[in-house]
Amino acid sequence: MKKLNIIFPLVFLFSGVMLLESCTKDITVDLPDAEPQLVVEGGIEQNGYPWVVLSKSVSYFAPVDSAALAANIVVNATVMVSNGVITDTLNLTFDPNFIIPLVYKGNAFTGVAGQTYTLRIIVPGFEDITSTTTIPQPIPLDSLWFKVEPDQTGQDSLGFMWAHLSDPAGQGQGYRWFAKRLNKDNVFIPPFGSAFDDKFVDDKSFDFGYSRGSIPGSTAPDDTNNERGYFKTNDTVAVKFTTIGAREVAFFRTYEIEVSNNGNPFAAPGVIESNVNGGLGVFCGYGVYLDTVITQ
Amino acid sequence: MNRITVLSIFFLLLVAPLAAQTPARYTISGYITDNASNESMIAASVVIRNPFKGTSTNTYGFYSLTADKGEYDLTISYVGFEDIKQHIVLDKDLRLNFKMKVKSVEIKEVEITGEKKDQNVSDGQMSVNKLDITQIKEIPQFMGEVDVLKTIQLLPGVKGASEGNSGIYVRGGGPDQNLILLDEAIVYNAAHLFGFFSVFNGDAVKSLNLIKGGMPAQYGGRLSSVLDISMKEGNSKDYQFEGGIGVISSRFTAQGPIKKDTSAFIISGRRTYIDVLMEPFVKDDSPFKGSGYYFYDLNTKINYRLSDKDRLFLSGYFGRDVFSYNNKDDDFKVSIPWGNATGSLRWNHLFNQKLFMNTTAVFSDYKFEFRAGQEDFSFGLLSGIRDWNLKSDYTWYPSSKHEVKFGGNYTFHTFTPNNVSASSGDTEFDFGGVIKLYAHEAGIYVNDVWTISDRWQVVPGMRLSYFSQVGPFNRYIKDVTGRVTDTVSYANGKLVKAYWGPEPRLSARFMLDEKSSLKAAFTQNYQYVHMATLSPIALPTDIWVPCSDLVKPQLGRQYAMGYFRNFKNDMYETSVEVYYKKLLNQVEFAPGALPEDNVNDNTDNNFVFGSGQSYGTELFIKKSKGKFNGWIGYTLSWTTRNFPDIEDNRTFYARYDRRHDISVVGIYELTPRWSVSSIFVYGSGNAITIPTSRYIFEGNVVNVYGLRNDYRMPPYHRLDFSATLKGKPNKRFQSSWNFSVYNVYNRRNPYFIYFANKGSIQDGTLKITAKQVSLFPILPSVTWNFKF
Repeated sequence: MKKLNIIFPLVFLFSGVMLLESCTKDITVDLPDAEPQLVVEGGIEQNGYPWVVLSKSVSYFAPVDSAALAANIVVNATVMVSNGVITDTLNLTFDPNFIIPLVYKGNAFTGVAGQTYTLRIIVPGFEDITSTTTIPQPIPLDSLWFKVEPDQTGQDSLGFMWAHLSDPAGQGQGYRWFAKRLNKDNVFIPPFGSAFDDKFVDDKSFDFGYSRGSIPGSTAPDDTNNERGYFKTNDTVAVKFTTIGAREVAFFRTYEIEVSNNGNPFAAPGVIESNVNGGLGVFCGYGVYLDTVITQ
Repeated sequence: MNRITVLSIFFLLLVAPLAAQTPARYTISGYITDNASNESMIAASVVIRNPFKGTSTNTYGFYSLTADKGEYDLTISYVGFEDIKQHIVLDKDLRLNFKMKVKSVEIKEVEITGEKKDQNVSDGQMSVNKLDITQIKEIPQFMGEVDVLKTIQLLPGVKGASEGNSGIYVRGGGPDQNLILLDEAIVYNAAHLFGFFSVFNGDAVKSLNLIKGGMPAQYGGRLSSVLDISMKEGNSKDYQFEGGIGVISSRFTAQGPIKKDTSAFIISGRRTYIDVLMEPFVKDDSPFKGSGYYFYDLNTKINYRLSDKDRLFLSGYFGRDVFSYNNKDDDFKVSIPWGNATGSLRWNHLFNQKLFMNTTAVFSDYKFEFRAGQEDFSFGLLSGIRDWNLKSDYTWYPSSKHEVKFGGNYTFHTFTPNNVSASSGDTEFDFGGVIKLYAHEAGIYVNDVWTISDRWQVVPGMRLSYFSQVGPFNRYIKDVTGRVTDTVSYANGKLVKAYWGPEPRLSARFMLDEKSSLKAAFTQNYQYVHMATLSPIALPTDIWVPCSDLVKPQLGRQYAMGYFRNFKNDMYETSVEVYYKKLLNQVEFAPGALPEDNVNDNTDNNFVFGSGQSYGTELFIKKSKGKFNGWIGYTLSWTTRNFPDIEDNRTFYARYDRRHDISVVGIYELTPRWSVSSIFVYGSGNAITIPTSRYIFEGNVVNVYGLRNDYRMPPYHRLDFSATLKGKPNKRFQSSWNFSVYNVYNRRNPYFIYFANKGSIQDGTLKITAKQVSLFPILPSVTWNFKF
């Protein structure tokens, strides 16, 4: 869905073209202090343990130094996930693969496709927050391949990952795509526009392509030079193609649009559709299909 | 009181006094035209004395005046023209056509309107502004482009949307609530290029009439205002050519007789040429070759005098904006054409001295297209609205005390809300194909301008309107998660939903003395088509949608009162008006709606509904005679909205709520050849929604927005200046130079404010800033105009 998602914002971009010449200045805006809210970044994958990263929202112009950021990570929470039979209380662990490296992780049960999970979080000074998610059945990709995108300089080693999907009729769910280059990336990374709703492709069989995502703020050479966004020949690329629920895909779509708008005044103020009651963010069940390709 | 009772009382009121009229009265009627060109004179004053009786000409230059048998002195007057005086003996019905001569140059002063001198005090209609194109041309114009909509923004009660924008907001109503008519054809999108220029070419326009309140019953279908623009008819005496060369565009107009004194044509065109000027500087091998923007307009009109009783007018407008962007490096192409086309055929017929008819057939079309392609992937977006309209309007002058208008109209609408198509290679993505919506709209009305006595004039009116959406149509029923669970299909022509409603109108005037009057008005209007806006800035992507089983007609009620007083022999006109307006069934997109939500869905499934109100006061002081003239307008107003589905019905300010709005216009004639003018405008800042907090998700900074329209932008103010040098008079070839400076003191007015974050949270380089974007700094421009 790469190109589709690029083109929607273009409707707005064309309006912006003529503004390039206009004058912009920094201004000071007086904002009232906003009440902090709890932010859930959590999930449970098929065959994986539940996990939750918990933080707080801050006033828009609050300080952004590392001390301030650390203070917004919530480490005194009681985080519980239930599969209907067992309730697991998650333990706070250190995991450098997460951008906020303090993660609550479970160890009592792993995710099963078709099962529903309930999250409950208790933090002193906040209302309790809850969320429910279901792991949908995974949908396999029919095929997965790498295709070089030659450019004017004649380079022939960079390209995108492509796949063929046959969407089953009437599922009412969504997909989210992640990819990881072996020995280069530590984690599966979602590219921009990683989530799409199957209502656009219901009962269709089609090809689609994705560029390579990068971790926000990455300073790795291939995330800052002309290889940014591309896969390269002789990479071993693992693709995690996940199936997610309707409310979850609505969250990721609205979240990705809001992040890409980044204050674009032509876009309406974003409303991110969270599935967390009493807080922000998402608790998402993933049905997982994994495939690996050596790019050439 | 139920609807039927209201109706019967109304008709009784109307008919009873007519039945009581006495015989031995005769009627003078006829057409008044400009001697030089045979153009109709709109709103020329026709007065007889001893005893005093008066009327004015209609849009077609026709008048009718009935009086007792006797001898009278008749005076015809129109500002800028020499008065016509004639002694008449009224012992039978008279048919008198008059041709008026422009005052000779030596005594001509810059004068401000063509209206009857004390009309603002004596007219029963309130909240109305008339502007003549010659007057508009005296005022400083942005980039030298004469723009009728921007001039209207200088009137109290009318607001512009933002910097350089020609969109108008009248007394707290939305931009879709203005009925904009060009020779009786509805213009759905009156703006070029994000509203910087309006679609009305100043050379083709004759006059315009703006009604902000007390809308007479012949107008309907919009809640807030009527902007009735008349095109020139064409000179049926002589060939005449005029044009202008400006910074942005050039114009050319030709007019002349087809058959002398019987038929005439006018054709007027305008095109911008930034793209043409840029073209030589873009290298052939540039990846951006083929990118550019331009717009053009074409106005044309033919009139034919079939007989003394019959006239035909055929007028058309066609305009397009074309934006294209090419990037060969990425093999990426975008093309965005949009624009209006209207055509109207009108037939004026005079049944007798007292009954005038105008029947019009109108075609109106607005279309927006977006096409993009990259390699074998293509994407398209199409939206628009097309109308076929037939209307018949009658003016009946039963006695000098009554001027009755009645008639009816019918429109067939075809709406094309945003239709998305996309394909990759041979696979067409499923966006549901092109969806069209069909609807019938109709109305009948009667309106009486009833002069009860020298002091009292009342204008009762009633309009009945009807609207129905018909098939083919699919209604998608959705569950709470927004998934379509069921579809209800309507066959071709089958009724989906119908609405009708009465629209009573009442205006009254009471003369306190010869120089001052009190006026009051009540109007109730229904509006059956809505413009849905996703972006906070007016874009051509805004779409028109009809009432449906979900969307109820918008209902507006307005109450207005005013005090009008003239000073110094009508040299100064002043007025104070107050108004209160209630708007029901207002439409907004649901919070968080996205353009692609239309896909396999009904656009109106993404709507939420609420109400609005607006109240305020308007002060107006105008000097319309002398070497120095101009006006000062001040508006104090409040505009709010309530939507149960937006922040739990919290009252929020509409985006264009503006507490204070001031405009000052001054025109001074230095010498017969030099004139200077200046305008100053001030408006409180727009209400906008801004982020109040943020959080981190997957390493990205995510904004959380605060309450809707809870933040005020800084105020807007600006001073413009212009000077016009006319060529030597009395020559066949006339030319003039116009020099203008926009934003003289280079005020950085806020166009919008946005919030940006840059850098990364991991390495501590994240920076969060608020930025204000301003569009136009001080902008000088020069335009050369000619006429021969």
